[in-house]
Amino acid sequence: MRRVLPPVIVGIAAIVAWQLTVTLGRIAPFILPAPSEIWEQLVEQRQNVWEAALASGANALIGLIAGSIVAVLAAMVASRFRPVAEISIPFAAVVSALPIIALAPILNNMFETTSSIPRRLVAAIIVFFPVFLNTLRGLREVNPIHQELMHTYAAGGWTFATKVRLPGALPYVFTGLRQASSLAVIAAVVAEYFGGLQNGLGSRITSAAAFTAYPRAWAYVVGACLLGLVFYLTTLLLERLAMPWRSRLI
Amino acid sequence: MTAVVLDKVTKVFNRGRADEVTALAEVDLTVGDGEFVSLIGPSGCGKSTLLRLIADLIEPTTGTVRVAGKEAGRARRDQDYGIAFQQAGLFEWRTVRRNVELPLELRGMGKGERKARAEEMLALVGLAEFAGHYPAQLSGGMQQRVAIARALAVQPPLLLMDEPFGALDEMTRERLQGELLGICAQTGTSTVFVTHSISEAVFLSNRVVVMSARPGRITAAIPVDLPARDEAARQSERYFEHVTAVRQALRGVPATT
Repeated sequence: MRRVLPPVIVGIAAIVAWQLTVTLGRIAPFILPAPSEIWEQLVEQRQNVWEAALASGANALIGLIAGSIVAVLAAMVASRFRPVAEISIPFAAVVSALPIIALAPILNNMFETTSSIPRRLVAAIIVFFPVFLNTLRGLREVNPIHQELMHTYAAGGWTFATKVRLPGALPYVFTGLRQASSLAVIAAVVAEYFGGLQNGLGSRITSAAAFTAYPRAWAYVVGACLLGLVFYLTTLLLERLAMPWRSRLI
Repeated sequence: MTAVVLDKVTKVFNRGRADEVTALAEVDLTVGDGEFVSLIGPSGCGKSTLLRLIADLIEPTTGTVRVAGKEAGRARRDQDYGIAFQQAGLFEWRTVRRNVELPLELRGMGKGERKARAEEMLALVGLAEFAGHYPAQLSGGMQQRVAIARALAVQPPLLLMDEPFGALDEMTRERLQGELLGICAQTGTSTVFVTHSISEAVFLSNRVVVMSARPGRITAAIPVDLPARDEAARQSERYFEHVTAVRQALRGVPATT
């Protein structure tokens, strides 16, 4: 309770301050609508927001799962064969610095306009890098004492990998997944700005803004925030379940 | 049969480079079956190196190391020894009990049997009620005791210990010294024990091997003959005579820089 209360109070205070600033300061709604208006729109549009969130969420989730699986497998291969890691790390670092979201319009042209694949692909590509780099680091970092102990137990390569390397890498995998879970949502939503199927949060935000329905656009933004939060918290929960030995999360 | 035989063992690190170090020079050492031998000396005298050679964690540059009558590598693969380091080195994702079970698991021991053995060992180091905890929930001293329980779990004929009690408080340390002696006497385990503490070396050992640095070599081997090894022995005349003898042997070596 003591840990939850302060951020909640700050959050409420911020919303109140926002409301007061907009109403007392007579700020035009196209600059910044009041929270009360956004809330009204959110309630009115809840069915649409929900459906759009489901569509974007499905894209983000599929991208997240596919990207993570490929990333973990790639990291395992790279850690097994040192030269592969030496080549792939700088390569991955450079590619991850590129604005992958910019691929969205190109991918959109590669598939049919009704296809969800381009957005899922963008999410998967964006997810790949943090998961790959973190997992690889985890797999390569083994406590030297653990290494020596397993050596004295005459443990073979496979035993060492499953009993020491993989469980030791889990915290790193989850660090990557935590970053990736938020990125997946961002990627799935933003990729919709560049055309393609118009059923997700991103396309709803652009169309509402195009009709100068700013409070409605904001209502969808709130939906996107909530979606990102759900992804992040789910990852935290999974982390907790997968690593009961970790007493702290961060 | 002898537990450990080192014959003219030399270990040179970084050979042929500018930072070449002779860690051990022409060391001969024999540890008899059931014998408790302590290695003592200043930092950098190669006592840990010596232990690691016996454990086949490193290979000698020249000379031979034989453990339980076999070449050291063979003995390691046969798991003829248990080992405990200065740092506990527990696997943080395993509970305390499963940490102790690991070497048994790798030997293919059945589930029920190794659980019983692990619990027995944990009781021995006084941590029975912490079996279900994770290492992160234990203090450093408790973690070290788990590591000792793990080394003992396989009931090895040879026990290698590298300052295992270094991080413990005096009370726990003395209690575990007593326990260790009890276990060794009961099972006939031979032990090579690296320590910085003269009193610890004397109390535990049949023989204290004194080493000196640069290059690491054995300068004296002092047999310790105590009638009993209990609390009274720690206060006995005989005990202090041996402590003095070891201290003099350590000092008798002029530091060469």
